[in-house]
Amino acid sequence: MHQRSRKTFSRRSFFSRMGDGLHGAALASLLGSDLFSPAGARGASRHRTYDLKPRPPHFEPRTKSVIHLFMNGGPSQVDLFDPKPALQKYAGKPPPRDIVNQIEFANEIGGFLPSPYPFHHCGDCGMEISEVLPHLAKRADDITLVRSMYGEHFNHEPSLYLMHSGRTLPGRPSLGAWVTYGLGSENQNLPGYVVLDDPKSLPVNEIQSWQSGWLPALYQGTRFRAEDPPLLNLKPSEDLPGPLVEAERALLRRLDETHKKERPYRPDLDARIASYELAARMQVEASDALDLSQEDERTKEMYGLNDERTASYGKRCLMARRLVERGVRFVQIFIEFQIWDAHSNLEKSLDYSCGKTDKPVAALLADLKERGLLDSTLVVWGGEFGRMPIAQIRGNDSAGRDHGPKGFSIWMSGGGVKGGYVHGATDEIGLNAVEDRVSVHDFHATMLHLLGMDSRNLIFDRHGLKERLTDQYPARVVKELLA
Amino acid sequence: MNCVHSRFVFLIATLLAAAPAATPAAPAFEGEVAPILKQKCWACHGEDSPQGQLDLRSPESILKGGKSGSAITPGSAERSLLVEKIVSGAMPPVGEKLTEKEIQRIRRWIDQEAEEHVAAVSEKDVLPIFQMRCVVCHGKRRQEAGLDLRTRESRLRGGESGPAMVSGKPEESLLMKRILAEEMPPADKLFEFQVRPPSSSEVETLRRWIAAGAPTDPSEPMQAKAAEAVFSEEDENFWAFQAPRRPSLPVVKRGESARNPIDAFLLRKLEEKGLGYSPEAGKLTLLRRANLALIGMPPTPEEIDAYLGDRRPDAYERMLDRLLESQHYGERWAQYWLDSVGYADSEGVIHEDRLRKHAWRYRDYVIRAFNDDKPYDQFLTEQLAADELIDYRNLEEITPEVVNTLAATGFLRMTPDGTYSPANGSIGERMNVIADEIQVLSSTVMGLTIGCARCHDHKYDPISQRDYYRLSAIFQSAYDPYDWVKPTERHLDIALESEREEAAAWNKPIESNIERVERSWKATADPLRDQILEERFSKLAEPVRQDLSRLIDTPEEKRSATEKKLAQEHKNVLEVTDEYLVERFPDYKEQWEQTSKETAELKAKLRAEPKIRALFDMGGEPSPAYLLHRGEAQSIRERVYPGVPRILEARLEPYRASPPEPEGQTSGYRLALARWLTRPDHPLTARVMVNRVWRHHFGRGLVASAANFGKTGVAPSHPELLDWLATEFVRSGWSVKHMHRLLMTSAAYRQSSRVDPVVEAGDPENVFLSRMPMRRMDAEALYDSVLRVTGRLNPTPFGEPDEVERKADGEIEAPGTKAGRRRAIYVLHRRKTPVTMLDVFDLPQLNPNCSERAESTVAPQALQMMNGDTVRDHSRYLAGRLMDAFPGNRGKQIEQAYLRSLSRSPSEEEIAAALASLDELTRHWTQHLESENHDEPRAARARWLALGSFCRAMLSSAAFLYAD
Repeated sequence: MHQRSRKTFSRRSFFSRMGDGLHGAALASLLGSDLFSPAGARGASRHRTYDLKPRPPHFEPRTKSVIHLFMNGGPSQVDLFDPKPALQKYAGKPPPRDIVNQIEFANEIGGFLPSPYPFHHCGDCGMEISEVLPHLAKRADDITLVRSMYGEHFNHEPSLYLMHSGRTLPGRPSLGAWVTYGLGSENQNLPGYVVLDDPKSLPVNEIQSWQSGWLPALYQGTRFRAEDPPLLNLKPSEDLPGPLVEAERALLRRLDETHKKERPYRPDLDARIASYELAARMQVEASDALDLSQEDERTKEMYGLNDERTASYGKRCLMARRLVERGVRFVQIFIEFQIWDAHSNLEKSLDYSCGKTDKPVAALLADLKERGLLDSTLVVWGGEFGRMPIAQIRGNDSAGRDHGPKGFSIWMSGGGVKGGYVHGATDEIGLNAVEDRVSVHDFHATMLHLLGMDSRNLIFDRHGLKERLTDQYPARVVKELLA
Repeated sequence: MNCVHSRFVFLIATLLAAAPAATPAAPAFEGEVAPILKQKCWACHGEDSPQGQLDLRSPESILKGGKSGSAITPGSAERSLLVEKIVSGAMPPVGEKLTEKEIQRIRRWIDQEAEEHVAAVSEKDVLPIFQMRCVVCHGKRRQEAGLDLRTRESRLRGGESGPAMVSGKPEESLLMKRILAEEMPPADKLFEFQVRPPSSSEVETLRRWIAAGAPTDPSEPMQAKAAEAVFSEEDENFWAFQAPRRPSLPVVKRGESARNPIDAFLLRKLEEKGLGYSPEAGKLTLLRRANLALIGMPPTPEEIDAYLGDRRPDAYERMLDRLLESQHYGERWAQYWLDSVGYADSEGVIHEDRLRKHAWRYRDYVIRAFNDDKPYDQFLTEQLAADELIDYRNLEEITPEVVNTLAATGFLRMTPDGTYSPANGSIGERMNVIADEIQVLSSTVMGLTIGCARCHDHKYDPISQRDYYRLSAIFQSAYDPYDWVKPTERHLDIALESEREEAAAWNKPIESNIERVERSWKATADPLRDQILEERFSKLAEPVRQDLSRLIDTPEEKRSATEKKLAQEHKNVLEVTDEYLVERFPDYKEQWEQTSKETAELKAKLRAEPKIRALFDMGGEPSPAYLLHRGEAQSIRERVYPGVPRILEARLEPYRASPPEPEGQTSGYRLALARWLTRPDHPLTARVMVNRVWRHHFGRGLVASAANFGKTGVAPSHPELLDWLATEFVRSGWSVKHMHRLLMTSAAYRQSSRVDPVVEAGDPENVFLSRMPMRRMDAEALYDSVLRVTGRLNPTPFGEPDEVERKADGEIEAPGTKAGRRRAIYVLHRRKTPVTMLDVFDLPQLNPNCSERAESTVAPQALQMMNGDTVRDHSRYLAGRLMDAFPGNRGKQIEQAYLRSLSRSPSEEEIAAALASLDELTRHWTQHLESENHDEPRAARARWLALGSFCRAMLSSAAFLYAD
């Protein structure tokens, strides 16, 4: 039943490794028929068994997997991607009331603040990128820059929820959960949706950023840590010899087989035994996937693993490549707490966050391209919102910028999007997205489209309600971005 | 010229410099303006869903504007967004720009003609502005400067500075002057009161409204019914909207299979399919099934012995009674209710995830209610309106019962609520909290998806948007979005004196410790702070320096208004934070860090003053409630009054509210709702609850979509049985325990769970109950059962939740004490730290609530059981106790392990196989200990570790996790 999609992606198949025992006809028949169809049977979800087996998309996909470089805190568009010479002209002047009433910290309002960084035309395309991102600047011809994103809320938590799940409230399934629910995964020995969070700290919504909401828990993001073991309880905390561990497993297997034999027609018991076997295989596969010692020196250097500043983020970028290489569907990298949240000391703050990420991110693009993986991997870079073109004055610190959800920049690369293309624009001062505006729902619909799915038809039946990632909102596939 | 104007204009002034002066001849819209717009703008701003929601096809739609507000300001082209966008070149974004001449025509039209298209501004247009921007300080509870801006009269009357407005004269109206001068709302209060200044289009609306004489809308009488939807016959006759009628019992062929009326209904359907019941399950299977169902834990070996020894004919019924009398019964069944209410010990929404220190009283209320078999009608009434039942403002004595009953109103205080944070407390977010509570009420009690109607009429069920807001208005006297009390302050300060004393006695030594630590830091910091201030003062001009020197000698509470303002203005000079201090004097950094760490640790130990997290009437008239277009806070439409979905009133006595006592302080809205919901003939209340009880026993509801009895839900599999149960429930005095007895003594419940080819083919989904479903333990049942089986359960009930901790590897667990660990329901339910063991077994995230838990089978569960430290430690603990109880007798140890975990004795083959496994494991452990060169007695330790491995396998096995 999955031939069509597999043919599309015959580059490397991991089916030989699938052996989780869930392939029986009985289970296949339990796969939801209403998954992709709005006319599915109501209430059928109650008794369905869910799994991660690859499922055919709605139509020919342009990408197979996604690496989402989530930039917590709200990167400043006017300092990174969206040059606004007009800010020089208005520098220091106080903002009008319609800007004042959009600001979170209403007691810390300063005048218009031009960017401390010059912008340069980069690549053959001539895209303007700030001097503070010198490595990315070299990859300008590989990315599509969207300068006209807009959100709905001026604070982090709701904006993160919006970006990750389509609503400003907690509780809905995250993007990665929807994608793995829709497409399954190409590797049955690893989770389909992997989260590489920063060992320094969790993002502001913590683990709720990658939850599956009311989708089955199977689809929630699995956190892989940057140290060994990468997954909680992947190995026992005691270092035990193999034969002992095997004897323990054999005992449990014997108990479960006996139990099952007396209870025929119970696919849930089969699935349970299979889940134990998968857990055992994951111990091997996950450890192997995250073993960076297998990489050569040049690669490590390229990702900045030898430099203290870039090592942490570089490590996760490299892990992401190794995971998509093994068929993981959706990898999401988070970065320490809210590193882009430059409320004060703008320059110092951006030097730090760019210094930490610019080189590894550019290396990831180059590496994927070199390995021929960029065509089948969509890389997305962006935060929950942008920042204000005016200054925020906090205490004795030098100026920063408050949150700006009404116009900000993100970029995408590979996986079926154009290279060297700039989409949309903000107004004269970089406050509001005005041209070819792209909502978060548009962004979600576009990502699903690249993966071969129609956001209107990726449906989960909940208490008889047809739920979608884009909910009831208008969501337009931004066709202009497609290669 | 006011400064708003000047600020606004500077942005575009430079661009306008070249514009020639306007000529007097004003163009008409149709003749001269429309053709320009048609040619240059309508491509994007002319369709039915135009860009930015801005439609430029008519003067009215232009005035209405789009997402960025009105496109023009009639009479002032300079202040019109449309002109700004065109002149700045931002619009049109593609294609030909407008010519200078075209721009001139548009400017002239706006300056001279557009005014006549302006629709009259009514009070409805300005109310949202007052509600969102002003009344938090000039409203019901707070009237700064004696000013109340809620009504026309109070605005005209004004406050200490005179009338707030002069009808017809905006330029003379104080409120306009203060707003335009940006004095109101005051900049330094914006953050604290979660207010934003009005936008320029709102200011314009206010101006026009006052200029038009500040007209008011005619008030509608409370009971007035605006044009309501007329229901189709199909809607009115929908099964779930009819009162349940008690059907007569069906006659079945195999009457001997029936034990009680339930069986008659079930058997009739089975017989129609050519099926019957499966054979009765064995005695021990039933014992284990009933234990897991009623108390969520397997029986102890003693209980097994007693039950097997009970030869009386009603041994089974007696066993059920014993379980229903157990304290553990309430702990099990309360959890189901807490799921559907969305119980949590923290506020959620934002990163801080602040703890709710008083939520547990509600949890205890629910446990007690189930244990006491509190009639369900009373249970609901107390949860919805205990504050209207008890005259708590005039209590003579505070009794435990009063506290417990008032805590019941925690029912609608449990959903995520971040509105305590100024950045997350907008009116829209407050309305989200109310909407979540409506969701809890409607899904849990009414079985309806009313939430859909928040933004539009329900697409499938006959529930209008007006219905939604009427229901929401019932709560406005408690949850008033315009007069909000933060969740962290919305408490009843009612507690037993003994509890207060206990808390105070606990806190006293901690408080004095905190004081000591802080004093010692102050002794270090004060001289340094003075030094910094001196430095800063030396750089100031003399008069300022003198003023500020005087100021710092005046304690804050004694400062005059001018002095306060001065302090605010020179905050940069006067404020020396500790962080800044240690940055300047790094030598003291360590001391500062030590101090803040110590105080934080001490403060964490402080016990909260006892209070009740409750929902209560705020007294007085609540703010008016409105229908909100698309559910948006700023899109106020017609006024609505408290009420319930009209479709439910079609055949039931209507909802009618009156205050409980004539002089009472409450509206009576919620009490009336409770009375209405608990009418014996209510079509939903009893059905929804019995269906819930049924589902927990039989794995699937008679209505499979337990939270949706509407048209998109699943029709009942046995409609007559559902009605029979609902009427029986009411007839029994709404007794939940009666329903348990009824369900569990049925022959249906006592069937075996074995599946054979016949039932598999005839009833594959087990909709008709041709067998008992095999059930997986849910997260709490597994957690609690492991504790009970291994002997680590601390049965202490009630009270503050047990702490959780995050271990180095990221696992979250509740460490407990030497007395063991308490049941999962007593563990802290903080949203950001779910206990890992519960989390991996599908503990729901409560956003806002969970009507039905997912049941997944995933690898992390296996990893948790196979590799996790928690299960390992519990298993070894059990192994140790078995060896203590039966030293040297491995056969007995194995038998006990089976009895405790699987509620049965092992067969001889099982014992033999277990002994062989133990031998093998012991050998491996011995080798391991030798290779590690352990100093302990290796043989004894290896036997213990091997038995530990064996116990872990038992606890990880399917036989433990699934109940037959």
